[in-house]
Formats: sequence, structure tokens, C-alpha cells
Amino acid sequence: MPSVAEPVTIPRPVIRKQTRSDDDLGPTYYVICWNDPVNLMVYVSHVFMKIFRWNKQTADKHMREVHEKGKSVLVREGAEKAEFYVHQLQNYKLQATMERAE
Amino acid sequence: MKLVKRENGTWQYGLNPIEADLLNRLLNQFPFTENGPAEITRTDQDPKVAEREKLLNESLAEHRKELQQQGLKLLIKKSKSRVQSQRLILNAEQREILLQILNDIRIGCWVALGKPDSMEPESFNHTAQELAQHHLMNLAGYFEHHLIGQE
Repeated sequence: MPSVAEPVTIPRPVIRKQTRSDDDLGPTYYVICWNDPVNLMVYVSHVFMKIFRWNKQTADKHMREVHEKGKSVLVREGAEKAEFYVHQLQNYKLQATMERAE
Repeated sequence: MKLVKRENGTWQYGLNPIEADLLNRLLNQFPFTENGPAEITRTDQDPKVAEREKLLNESLAEHRKELQQQGLKLLIKKSKSRVQSQRLILNAEQREILLQILNDIRIGCWVALGKPDSMEPESFNHTAQELAQHHLMNLAGYFEHHLIGQE
């Protein structure tokens, strides 16, 4: 017996209105960690994992970059969030700054 | 200092009496150095930078004050035995506080020594004060390493 397909109602996609924070509108900044001869390598990785919730592999990669190249760009963010990260990193006594992205 | 056990979000360390005494002294006397001015950017010419830097420095000073208060709560109770190792049990937050205090001491000593590129003792003048700062810097590094280097 042939089956008769029942009509299927496809729900309309819900289009949510996108909201933008002030950070989305303004310039973006690189959060940079600079090398110094005093912070222990294990400590630098630990701080990156703590603040950015990175896994050990990512944290170690950035730590080595700081150590070998003199600096590492950690994230690119709007002013507010970049400033927040700089505060966090400097609370841990890492030499971190925010530099305007081109 | 040795990590003895890690379970249920706590870290248990064993310290010999000398280590326990030294760690207590560090916590009791923190901070040893002044907080140097911090910079928020090296290249940004934005007129708001000075204001941002002021906020950063205020925030760092406040954070340091909190560390000082929290650090005193971590003091290790003296054992009756002079030989028996002493225990330091820390939750995640306390461990972070101790780590930040130790690193603050280490960085503070390095700044006081003139931010030398080399950590070798030959690179410092050998005044009694500088030698003391150098030892203090190494001592803080020793505890830092044992606190997080054994995972």
C-alpha cells in the first residue's frame, strides 16, 4: 500500500538581532607579552593557562615565543577586553601591554 | 618542598622545618619592595593612555594589598618537632595567591637590582644589600618552582 506523505511544516528560522558591544566598534588591540630574564618559564605558561584558559600546549607555544623572539601576541581584542587582560597579566607580574592593531 | 598529594582541588605539600620557616618569613614580611610604575602600552599615542595607566597602577596596588592580607592567612603553623616535615595544604585560590606573592618578591628584587639581563651573581655588585636581594630572588624562585613545577 503506497504511503501518503504527510505535509511537513518547516519552522521559520529565528533571526536574532545582533548586538554589538562598544569593543566591536572601536579600534582593536594586540595584547603582547614581552620577554624578561626573571619570570620562570613554568610560571609564564601557568599564567597563560590560568588567564586565557589555554591548554598546556598552546600556553607553552606562546611562552617559548616570548622567550625566543622577545615577545608574543597573545590575543587581539577591543580596548576594554585588552585592558582587562593587561591588568590580569600584570597582576601576575608579567610584562604585558596592549598595542593598537594596524 | 615536595608535592605530596593532589586531590579534590587541593594540593598538599611537605616542607622541611627550614623551608617552612623561610616560607613563613617571606609571607610575614611581604612586600619587600616598592611597586614600580607599570606601563599599559609602548606605542599607543592615545591621549587616554595616562588615565589608563593611572587606573592600572591603582588596580595593581589594590591587588597587592589583597595579596598581603591573604598571604598572612597562609602562614604555616609551627610544628612541635624540629625534624618532622610540615604540611601546607592549599586550595586552588590559595595556591594562586602564594604563587603571586612569591613572584612579586622575585620581580621586586630583580627591579631593585637594576633589572639585570643575567641572573648570575657575577652580574651584580656585591654590596650586602644586593646579595641579600639576590638570595631573596632565588629563594622565591625556588618555592615557585616547587609549587607549580611538579605537576
